[in-house]
Amino acid sequence: MSAADTPQNNSPPLTSRELAAVDGVLKDVKAIKSSPDITVTAASDSETPPAAFGAGGPMLKQFDQSNASSRVISQASTPPRSVVGIGGKVAKPDYSEAKIVLAMVGLPARGKSYLSNKLMRYLKWLEYDVKVFNVGQLRRSRARQKAKQSGKREDHRAPYFSHDNVEATRLRDQLANDSLEMLIQWLREGGNVGIHDATNSTRARRQKIVERVSKEKGMSVIFLESVCDDPVILAANIALKVSSGDPDYKDMSREEAKADFERRIREYEAVYETITEPHLSYLRIKNVGSQVTLCHIHGYLQSRIAFYLMNLHLKPRSIFFSRHGESQFNVEGKIGGDSPLSERGMRYARALPALITDNIGDAPLTVWTSTLQRTIQTAQYLPYPKLTWKSLDELDAGVCDGMTYEEIEQAYPEDFANRDEDKFNYRYRGGESYRDVVVRLEPVIMELERQENILIIGHQAILRCLYAYFHDLPQADLPYIKIPLHTVIKLTPKAYGCDEERYTLPIGAVDTHRPKPKAPPPPVAPAKTGREYYTKDA
Amino acid sequence: MVAPLYTTASGLLFHAGKILVCTVGLPARGKTHISRALERYLRWTGVKTTVISLGDYRRKVLGGAHQLPPDYFTLEKSPETIQLRERVLQGCEQQIWDFFNAGGQVVIYDANNGTRERRNAVAEKFDKEGIHVIMLESLCDNEELILSNIRSVKISSPDASSYRGWDPEKAVADYYNRIKDHERHYQPVEETTWPFIRIMNVGEKIMVNHIHGYLQSRIVFFLMNIHNRPRTIYFARSGQSLIEHSYKADSDLSPAGWEYAERLKEFVLERRAKSLEQRGINPAERRLVIWTSARRRSHHTAWPFLTHGANDPSPPSKVKVIERPQMSEINPGVWDGLSPEQVRKYYPDEWERFVNDPYAYRAPRAESYHDLCVRLEPTLIELEREKEDLLIIGHASVIRCILAYLIGLPASEIPAIEVARGDLIEVVPTSYGVYSQAHHFWDGPGRAANGKDEHNFYENYAEDTRGKRRPEAKPEGTPEPAQIAA
Repeated sequence: MSAADTPQNNSPPLTSRELAAVDGVLKDVKAIKSSPDITVTAASDSETPPAAFGAGGPMLKQFDQSNASSRVISQASTPPRSVVGIGGKVAKPDYSEAKIVLAMVGLPARGKSYLSNKLMRYLKWLEYDVKVFNVGQLRRSRARQKAKQSGKREDHRAPYFSHDNVEATRLRDQLANDSLEMLIQWLREGGNVGIHDATNSTRARRQKIVERVSKEKGMSVIFLESVCDDPVILAANIALKVSSGDPDYKDMSREEAKADFERRIREYEAVYETITEPHLSYLRIKNVGSQVTLCHIHGYLQSRIAFYLMNLHLKPRSIFFSRHGESQFNVEGKIGGDSPLSERGMRYARALPALITDNIGDAPLTVWTSTLQRTIQTAQYLPYPKLTWKSLDELDAGVCDGMTYEEIEQAYPEDFANRDEDKFNYRYRGGESYRDVVVRLEPVIMELERQENILIIGHQAILRCLYAYFHDLPQADLPYIKIPLHTVIKLTPKAYGCDEERYTLPIGAVDTHRPKPKAPPPPVAPAKTGREYYTKDA
Repeated sequence: MVAPLYTTASGLLFHAGKILVCTVGLPARGKTHISRALERYLRWTGVKTTVISLGDYRRKVLGGAHQLPPDYFTLEKSPETIQLRERVLQGCEQQIWDFFNAGGQVVIYDANNGTRERRNAVAEKFDKEGIHVIMLESLCDNEELILSNIRSVKISSPDASSYRGWDPEKAVADYYNRIKDHERHYQPVEETTWPFIRIMNVGEKIMVNHIHGYLQSRIVFFLMNIHNRPRTIYFARSGQSLIEHSYKADSDLSPAGWEYAERLKEFVLERRAKSLEQRGINPAERRLVIWTSARRRSHHTAWPFLTHGANDPSPPSKVKVIERPQMSEINPGVWDGLSPEQVRKYYPDEWERFVNDPYAYRAPRAESYHDLCVRLEPTLIELEREKEDLLIIGHASVIRCILAYLIGLPASEIPAIEVARGDLIEVVPTSYGVYSQAHHFWDGPGRAANGKDEHNFYENYAEDTRGKRRPEAKPEGTPEPAQIAA
């Protein structure tokens, strides 16, 4: 690409009007200092920046030193700590009141594990403590132990699941009970949502669960029934089960396994009772979202769960993430701001359409950008419908906006170190923490779940948060995820996770990744497209 | 959770097309309550929505019940009456068309639509023209709920002018008989021809069939969260802070601010005790939930509620304080810390556009009121579902957006709602609207005598421009609108 087709807006954007604005503000700030209403009037040097309370200037420090008298008048015995400097750590919201047993109901191959997994990922991302207690997994691990001790292998083929097999039925009941006990114990120790992933197919079984949970203070139970009569979805689920390396079928041929699994389903069908109990709190989902019934769903988390499940779909699609092209501020090492793209950034913007179109052909795609000009510029040549989201704007660095990391470190060395210690929870003064960004992005996730092909032209912190959702990465690692410039990340949701591909365009850019000082390398998304509990099983 | 403001080429918001929501249900099943709540919510999100009520239309063209032919509500009707009813239906449907043709997006058709035949006829007509039809059925098998609905809505509202002067008990009995008649002919929505939402006993159970699309699923989520348990919502501004005019400084309360916080606690607990006693509830039994933003001045204003003063003999009240980061005030972007004069001087073009439309204009890197509304939407759902009394200690801009939603004010008026520091605004939601009242409880630094707040102009801009206010525009269903602006 020649320099000739580079538009003129690559040069620094300050117009004479803007320069005049900066100059005028500088003068006015000095004039304000004589106002009696403002506590901070002492600063009198000409270096005061136009952003009156940016961390770059002396005003913030002076203000912090002068406001010690603020709460003398307060009667409070231990007044809340006053935050000084450029920010501080924020405690996690108190979720200790949320204690929910979510019991799955449904025949095998109805996508129960899929739903539990998906839900777990979503709630974990919102920082709830969630764990799936899978009865099948418990059965297999117990059987393995037994086999080790006695040398005899239990037969877990279809007859084991027959209701007429009294001994096996007793054993399976015992397993379900044990798994529930483990779940309750875990909730007592501080968990928020325990997902009981079992068939729970009879009324008697469900009644037992209700009775057991009602003995625990503060715990509530909701049932999530997954019904599926679409033969296409069913066949796909069965094929997945048989082919994904389920240890129950590891010594059988595909056909044998399929026949045995279908027989197992029939054994369950013989005794299956759909939820009709009027007093139960339940959600029924038919064919993943086409019909949803909600009954007695009360409480914040419960209705969140319901809304989330209503928005899921199974259509194949891809989600593309790209950061904006390299911006002027990236080149200068500054954070935040609303600067235009650099010359290299513009080259990336021009190269992007070919990459995306090669990848998806003529499939429909929608581009989402933030309201900041660097993302809008990056998207400008893309031949797809574009929408701007205010919620996709970069993490607000508050008083540090427009500074370089070195400048911040110089002005506030201690605070700066503080942020590295717990980056996820660190909120910039007058700005946001990563947690705040997660809260702000929740509607975006909900919308992403509903949509099909989407390309998000975003910012580093924003894409880290979204990426962590799709790959189920823990909060502590989230701020260190590598999302380099000039790279498109393609995520393709699969049954139990996401496939990922990265395309880096050969256009140079600065590296804006700041590793955690003296820490292991940044997290890499684990390949988790298989059912997680099978791998643990092995 | 609302997607940002898109006006598509057709002038509609969102790529959702036009939607007709047909209510289905016997009389006194809360259809009107649900319709109005939904209308308020969708309008607030910027969707052009209206409720068209068959009953209201009939009253308008034919007059009250005493002017109707005697067989209008009975099952056997004379041919003339059938013709008359048909005319009313036609006229009402014409109103729906008129609204759609004038650029409206969602119509909630508030009528019984009790027979399959009737529903199908309406749905087919609109479906043919490319309008998405949703059946919204409200069922009720709880006699108590029905009776209380008759008592509170049907007998005492203007809706039932025919009962003026009746003995209330007799009126209830008469109305009850009238709807018994309907019950025999009622066919619940069991057909799956059209997407439907069935609500049992105002949210006890919700059934959803084939609801797809953005606005449609929003509607369901909203309906999932509404309830009709009586409660009061209080609003108060946070105390004065050390640097009023800076968003970034996130400064702490000033000494006057701490004083304000103490006084607020006393006043709220006193007011609440009074109103709970009137309803025959022991205030010690009900919890008060307090929401603050994550900004220091707001969170610290709630601090006295959590502490127990030495010279305070009353037992500590049941209070829960929740900090909500989404409730920060409107972000002034690059205008942070500037005075209106400075902005006018250095950003003349932006200022011009801002002055023309303080609701929709987004200053550089700032939030517009629309952005703020979008950000607050999840909070609003939370507000709907909260069953306890709620005190929101917020910022003027945030209180404005939430009040506008509760009262049903049009978006363009949001920036001009006055919220003075030192006033406690009390809002009680009811079936047909809200009662709201402002109590003045504090004077001191930070409460400007003229209501102007020149240290925080972006947040309080339109409130200052008297010319923008339209005091004559009385919000629907607000018995005391003047009090809010007081």
